[in-house]
Amino acid sequence: MDFSFSSDQQLLKNSARAFLDEHVKPVHVRALWDDPRGESEALWKEMAQLGWLGLALPEDAGGSALGLVETSILQEELGRAACPSPYLPTVLAATAIARFGSAAQKSRWLPAVAGGSARATLALLERELDWSPTSVQTRAEERGGKVTLTGVKQFVPWAHVADVILIPARVGSSVAVYAVDSSAPGVKITPLTSMDPGMRVCTVTLDGASVAAEARLPSEGALPFLLERGAVGAAAEMLGAARRCLDMAVEYAKVREQFGQPIGSFQAIRHKCAEMLMDVENSHAAVYYASWSLENGTEDGSLAASVAKAYVSDASRKVCGDAIQVHGGIGFTWEYDLHLYFKRAKALEPMYGDADHHRELIVRRVAR
Amino acid sequence: MDLNLSAEDRAFRDQTRTWFQRNVPHSELKTLEERRAWHRTMFDAGYVGMGWPKEYGGQAASPMKMAIVADEMARANAPAPINGLGIGFIGPTIIVHGTDWQKQRYLRKILSAEEIWCQLYSEPNSGSDLASLRTRAEDQGEYFRVNGQKIWTSGGHISDWGILLARTDPGVAKHKGISCFLLNMRQPGVEVRPLKQITGSAEFNEVFMTNARAERADLLGRLGQGWEIAQTTLGFERGGNSIARVTRYASAFDRLVEAARKLKRGGKPLLEDPVVRAKLGKIYAEIEVQRYASLRVLSALQKGDSPGAASSITKLSYSEFEKRYYELCLEILGSYGQVTDGGLEESSLDVDSSSGVRSSWAYAFLWARAGTIYSGSSEIQKNVIGERVLGLPKEIRADRVKS
Repeated sequence: MDFSFSSDQQLLKNSARAFLDEHVKPVHVRALWDDPRGESEALWKEMAQLGWLGLALPEDAGGSALGLVETSILQEELGRAACPSPYLPTVLAATAIARFGSAAQKSRWLPAVAGGSARATLALLERELDWSPTSVQTRAEERGGKVTLTGVKQFVPWAHVADVILIPARVGSSVAVYAVDSSAPGVKITPLTSMDPGMRVCTVTLDGASVAAEARLPSEGALPFLLERGAVGAAAEMLGAARRCLDMAVEYAKVREQFGQPIGSFQAIRHKCAEMLMDVENSHAAVYYASWSLENGTEDGSLAASVAKAYVSDASRKVCGDAIQVHGGIGFTWEYDLHLYFKRAKALEPMYGDADHHRELIVRRVAR
Repeated sequence: MDLNLSAEDRAFRDQTRTWFQRNVPHSELKTLEERRAWHRTMFDAGYVGMGWPKEYGGQAASPMKMAIVADEMARANAPAPINGLGIGFIGPTIIVHGTDWQKQRYLRKILSAEEIWCQLYSEPNSGSDLASLRTRAEDQGEYFRVNGQKIWTSGGHISDWGILLARTDPGVAKHKGISCFLLNMRQPGVEVRPLKQITGSAEFNEVFMTNARAERADLLGRLGQGWEIAQTTLGFERGGNSIARVTRYASAFDRLVEAARKLKRGGKPLLEDPVVRAKLGKIYAEIEVQRYASLRVLSALQKGDSPGAASSITKLSYSEFEKRYYELCLEILGSYGQVTDGGLEESSLDVDSSSGVRSSWAYAFLWARAGTIYSGSSEIQKNVIGERVLGLPKEIRADRVKS
């Protein structure tokens, strides 16, 4: 048994850190916050060149066929940088297409995603904010080789830049998932302004949107797959944000002086930092245990995904918030960078099921 | 990263599981002789002192194998071997710091539990500030004359020997004037009085030393090296064996869920109450996180990495969790959780909390208060994490200014 990263995994982590430290500094993040599109085409192309976008995609699609541990490593680093990028939804949707899609869907979307010319996303929520498929009200009517989609999807991440959107819709009594071209007629995308401008969300209105019947993912199981993987991806990103905040708090506590001493010498501050470290290390264990277990199909993989999301949601909010507290007034200013990470962690909390949602899933699994 | 057990470890686990299923005693071990007999059975099967070097009667077993045994013991609800302190860290401390004579004289009898050991560190006025201890050991040439009082001596009443910290030089800085001795507990100058805890039982003692005798040959390490040696000991202690602990939490959780099925609120089982479900989900997530974190520590130990000060994170994490856990258990169990005797099925907890004996939820709840105090309180752990892991500046302390 080995819980540590392999040398390749460590290399990936180090190179991601180095790249993001140089290319996604807080000043870049802030520039993208003010950008109407919210993400950078040049950055996306570089991520493709680094092999990040095809990391977990099959080799015949131009990917590297690596797994969820590697994806989580990158996701953590992106969270550490509060990188504004549709990376998580793109990778989720693309791996779902790779797993559940038809040959035509794979060849249309996967090489384009791996090569950096396409972005993807997924529209799992509607107005009631229920992640359960039973609440899907969007309807799909299949007629004569065409499908008409009608409904409203809420809080769809990065839909305004996506080329393809995975859309669950009700067909009779079951729910199917469609890979819908975002330029299809009847698809209307309205960006929302949210607390973290580095994670854009949109309302997607399907007003009789018309797509070919072949847009349906032929294999069953995409929805639970997306929710589990989404939960772990979000947890990894929250972990990165939390570790960044911890690092900043510790550095600040070493240099900020009050009463003639560095504030880190006061137990009130030191103990807070120690608790933050404990939460971050536990979160690390949760994220990578879940990543490895889901990837390797162990029987507790789904449980571990819920554990990671439930635990890291609470832990990262606490750690990022405590970092503001350690900083005092300066941590509350727009100019200081802490809120970039604080907001990213917060933005991911409700995504792919909040902590309460996953606690209920845990109880269903262990107390049947 | 690969979380699978190796084929060898899997085989070892299966074999260990079978052994404990066949051999675990079916009734509670009441007398010291019964516990010694069980110790002997485990010792003969090779499950005691596994981590010790082969030359001293151990097997130099891997951390993973030791964790497997501890885990299987928890699964089988097996009583702990006797002499846990001696085997867990006093023996290993003698192996690191002892003379050849000391190793010859003491180590084998620790393993076989022929001689039982206790730890004489804490004093009434030296808890977190252990280095301020006042027990004196005065050099008389052939021996040291020991006077003072120790407290929180677990197993003191059944011990033959104790590892003692005493001040040999009051004239130097407090950390430097302490020496470490192996003290014969069976002598007229040593008096042991049981100390009853909030659990109602007395696993701990007070030890009074009045002109007690520590032989010069029983000085461990050099004069004045006591503090350094104590750090080795506390390091062994804080590493702990957390996988087995998690197995106990999980088996208690199953019992808790059973109870929540039977108990009702407003005519419906508690298990259907959304508030109870949310709490159960939260605490189970924490149990799992404790398990993952333990595996991570174990994996590092397995690779030969010493966790050092980072073991404080583990200790802080599990001991604080354990308090929250049994608080929730008692909240859900209501009055059943508070019964200590009377044979109600709902009130008994078939897992042990520390001593290997059957206990109640109430006992586990009360005992959990000890975890955040013993072996360095949570506040001390946070100081260690802050200073030695995060590199935060030391606080200005009155005793440091003086020395």
